Amino acid sequence: MPATRKPLVLIGLVLFAAALLAAGDKKSKTNASAEAAVSMDSRQSAPPIADDKKIVHALNRFTFGVRPGDVERVRAMGLDQWLDQQLHPEKIDDSAVEARIAPFRTLKMSAKEMVENFPPPQVLKAIENGRMSMPRDPGKRAVYESRMAQYQEQQQKKQDGVASANPAPAATTSSAPAPSTASQDSASMQGMSPAMQLNANTPTTPEQRRQQKQREDAMYADLNGDQLLQKPAEERYKAILKMSPEERLDLARVYKGEKAMHVIDGMRPEQRETIEAIVQPQAVVGGELAQAKLLRAIYSDRQLEEVMTDFWFNHFNVFIGKGPDRYMINAYEREVIRPHALGKFKDLLTATAKSPAMLFYLDNWQSVGPDSDLALYGPQRRPGRGRNARFPHPRPQQAKNRSGLNENYAREIMELHTLGVDGGYSQKDVTELAKVLTGWSIEQPQLGGNFKFNERAHEPGPKYILGRKIGEHGEKEGEEMLDILAHHPSTARFISRKLAMRFVSDNPPDTLVARMAETFQKKDGDIFFLEGFRQVLRTLFRSPEFWAADAYRAKMKTPFEFVVSAARASGADIQNAMPLVGTLNRMGMPLYGMQPPTGYSMKAEAWVNSSALLNRMNFALQLGSGKLPGTTVNPQDLLRGPAPADAEAALAALEQDILAGDVSAQTHAVMEKQLSDPQISQRKLDDANKTPNYGAIAGLIMGSPEFQRR
Amino acid sequence: MSITRRVFLKNGALAIVGTSIVPSFLTRAVYAAETAAPGKKRLIVLFQRGAADGLNIVVPHGEQAYYAMRPSISIPRPRNGQESAIDLDGFFGLHPAMTAFKPLWDQKHLAIVHAAGSPDTTRSHFDAQDYMESGTPGLRSTDDGWLNRALQADPEVGASPFRAVAMGGALPRTLAGSVPAVAMDNIRAFTVGGRGPKPSLASNTFEAMYEQSVDSVLHGTGNETFEAVKMLRSADPEKYTPAAGADYPRGRFGDSLRQVAQLIKANLGVEVAFADISGWDHHVNEGSVQGQIANLTREFSQSIAALWTDLGDLAESTVIVTMSEFGRTMRENGNAGTDHGHGNVMWLMGGRVQGGKIYGDWPGLGE
Repeated sequence: MPATRKPLVLIGLVLFAAALLAAGDKKSKTNASAEAAVSMDSRQSAPPIADDKKIVHALNRFTFGVRPGDVERVRAMGLDQWLDQQLHPEKIDDSAVEARIAPFRTLKMSAKEMVENFPPPQVLKAIENGRMSMPRDPGKRAVYESRMAQYQEQQQKKQDGVASANPAPAATTSSAPAPSTASQDSASMQGMSPAMQLNANTPTTPEQRRQQKQREDAMYADLNGDQLLQKPAEERYKAILKMSPEERLDLARVYKGEKAMHVIDGMRPEQRETIEAIVQPQAVVGGELAQAKLLRAIYSDRQLEEVMTDFWFNHFNVFIGKGPDRYMINAYEREVIRPHALGKFKDLLTATAKSPAMLFYLDNWQSVGPDSDLALYGPQRRPGRGRNARFPHPRPQQAKNRSGLNENYAREIMELHTLGVDGGYSQKDVTELAKVLTGWSIEQPQLGGNFKFNERAHEPGPKYILGRKIGEHGEKEGEEMLDILAHHPSTARFISRKLAMRFVSDNPPDTLVARMAETFQKKDGDIFFLEGFRQVLRTLFRSPEFWAADAYRAKMKTPFEFVVSAARASGADIQNAMPLVGTLNRMGMPLYGMQPPTGYSMKAEAWVNSSALLNRMNFALQLGSGKLPGTTVNPQDLLRGPAPADAEAALAALEQDILAGDVSAQTHAVMEKQLSDPQISQRKLDDANKTPNYGAIAGLIMGSPEFQRR
Repeated sequence: MSITRRVFLKNGALAIVGTSIVPSFLTRAVYAAETAAPGKKRLIVLFQRGAADGLNIVVPHGEQAYYAMRPSISIPRPRNGQESAIDLDGFFGLHPAMTAFKPLWDQKHLAIVHAAGSPDTTRSHFDAQDYMESGTPGLRSTDDGWLNRALQADPEVGASPFRAVAMGGALPRTLAGSVPAVAMDNIRAFTVGGRGPKPSLASNTFEAMYEQSVDSVLHGTGNETFEAVKMLRSADPEKYTPAAGADYPRGRFGDSLRQVAQLIKANLGVEVAFADISGWDHHVNEGSVQGQIANLTREFSQSIAALWTDLGDLAESTVIVTMSEFGRTMRENGNAGTDHGHGNVMWLMGGRVQGGKIYGDWPGLGE
């Protein structure tokens, strides 16, 4: 530790390295490591960032955006001290954000528990067929019964031939799993909880319509009579549980939007979740996950941990729309990504490789070695077991159906997770790695099961990858290969470049990447010794390339970074994050919704185009003016300090809060010109002292070119 | 017929110019109308992301090997009264979910190129899409898309901002490059601070901000954006009804193509348009006459057929071309799906396309 702490203490010196060199400051001469840093810096042609912008720059890169007051806080603390703190998130109290996400119980559930509480169609079918039993808990029971009633209604409709008459909707739902997320998000645009929005299927035959109308009328009468909504939350919840499954479904049909919010108003989290699950159980899972991600990014004080969790999730992307992955992603982020976000790459890589989420997403759980027992003898029979071996010879048809070697995951490990596409591997290496990973599977994925190694699906014999021979030893083969890949020089370069793209620029300097890669992979004799990411990030932080003037605001914010930074800059108080989830959907960056394993691009060109720009401007205006449902933006939160004397002063103060005062003369002049407009000044002829519309000004600043970058 | 239409447009344009003070963008829109009229050609590029299984889409039902290699997911030989391939020429047939394409084939507007694809051997979706979109297989360093380069080769001064449009939240690689291109998710949402007939205060402010910005990237995109917003406002997209018989199926792809038609018919000067449809990566349970592949090919063909109908006379001067990054294995895998392979089917549609024919050398499916 002392070796690493010392340079950190000296980071202040490093930052001013060029100036120190010129001035011949004593301190720089008295310390060897500072001198080394200085000479490193002097090789750089690019001038460093001006001193007063350094804190803003660091905040822009190591957090999701500058909150009002952040610059002062970091200044008081010292930049190096601050980074050190961010690198040890466990030492930062984060109870404020924990309180905000506490109502989301799914965040603490295992995949299995989620499947139980928010059942997918498979589970409902299993209950219907008697393969599983109905839960006893009255809340769960209410969910199951209503979902089954809905399912039966759909089946009935299919039998009536209505569904098959128009095949198009079926095409959309089955072609891409995304629409379920999409509908959930478009619903959320109105600011409501995800599940309550969903239109339960509308009845189709006249008879069904009539029946439903009757039920709804009856319920209206009942609701009006008993005034369901007037009841205290506890009684209201009980009343809903007492309803018949059909009545509960009808309730969902009738109560949409604002009304739906009233139904769950004041309920405890598990009660709210139960009501939402009655309407659409799976939307609860995805909705809470996405909301928690946003709330953490906006409110957590462990900002670097959030940034790195986001980075690694994107690197090891999985897609919420792929079958049971919906239930697995929570545990994936919580137990696989986050604990290793600042740790060691090998641990992270191995954890992803053994996660049900990844194994399902990239199909490895189904991959079967062509010469494995499972391929040759089927699921039950074993070869050479005396009388039990009733079928000594494999049956060709069956063998064929089970011999699926799936290369998908093996390819992506090399191409996207470790070596990079130019990392020096061949199609043969991919196939061999796929064989190594046969048997890495999941116990009952549809029920949220855990990782299991299935020896019978594992391809026997030695494998040859990247010029090495991997001897036959089952599950260990995969672990050995992951270890090799994690420590490969190509991996060090590939990951370092990607990190530099996140933290420095779209085309980071090779010198920087090389320096980071060196830290990433320290060779100690024959033993590869890998430092954790803390060290790689420290190297980055100490590099002159990071502090070069042309790195300042060089990164275009992704939609996620834009939305989160706007919420942070405006001091928004978010009670319901679903509208933000919907915003990101419209901006082409749905949370957990990236289907290809590449993850989202970090480059500007992916996100700068006309419609994206319009979306950003509109969001900025909506947020600033306090019109985003579920979110409060108070002028007091926008403007700290004493109330500005006039519109000019308000503009200056808001520029200070939202852009740390660094706004171009052009942008400032354009906004200044609009200040006299009645929409901004809010002044009428006889009312000279009316305060200007801070929200409108804030919206304009957040939509400005300056705010699109970090 | 096309002449009549052009004369009408010209007269219409003159009428507008003659009777009122016309803002410059509207004048441009009117001139753009000329370019959008029959005579000026248009290209619509459709990308099937995920590597579509061409062998189950245009089925080589004359190949015994096809049935041998795909015991559970092949499409049966054409047979009356059964769900089976729709025969085209005695050897190839359409997937039965693609009935919407049969009339186009019969009218010889639809041509098929089979066993086509990138010469690069990569089996990575990411790389292969990149090559397909950059148009430079094997060359990763190309920084623009082939369709943008095609427009660069024919520079147009004062071109309409809608000269190149892509449907979707982000601009696809195919259209990336120095020629300005517009990406839009939804035509209606293509505005700032409200949909009123006049631009809002915020809209004017942002326009000025980006106009004067020294940020070269955002300055350029900002200018294109506000130019496009104005033109679209004048074209009044709220009032669009597709032509009779143009039944776009529900879903993102149908929506995209409906809006492509809308933009073209609004005479905004669309020269190239791009849309994509994903979900073709059927490693598991691909399906046969029913299932995933059936649903997707149905959505795909119905959407394109609706676009064709909707374009009416304009289809005469339009070419629609489809592509996918690569194909799939001839053999089905152990999960009743197919893995990454090479060679695929491309569709070509247009008034001048010599359709009703399958192009390309068929190598056969034998080993």
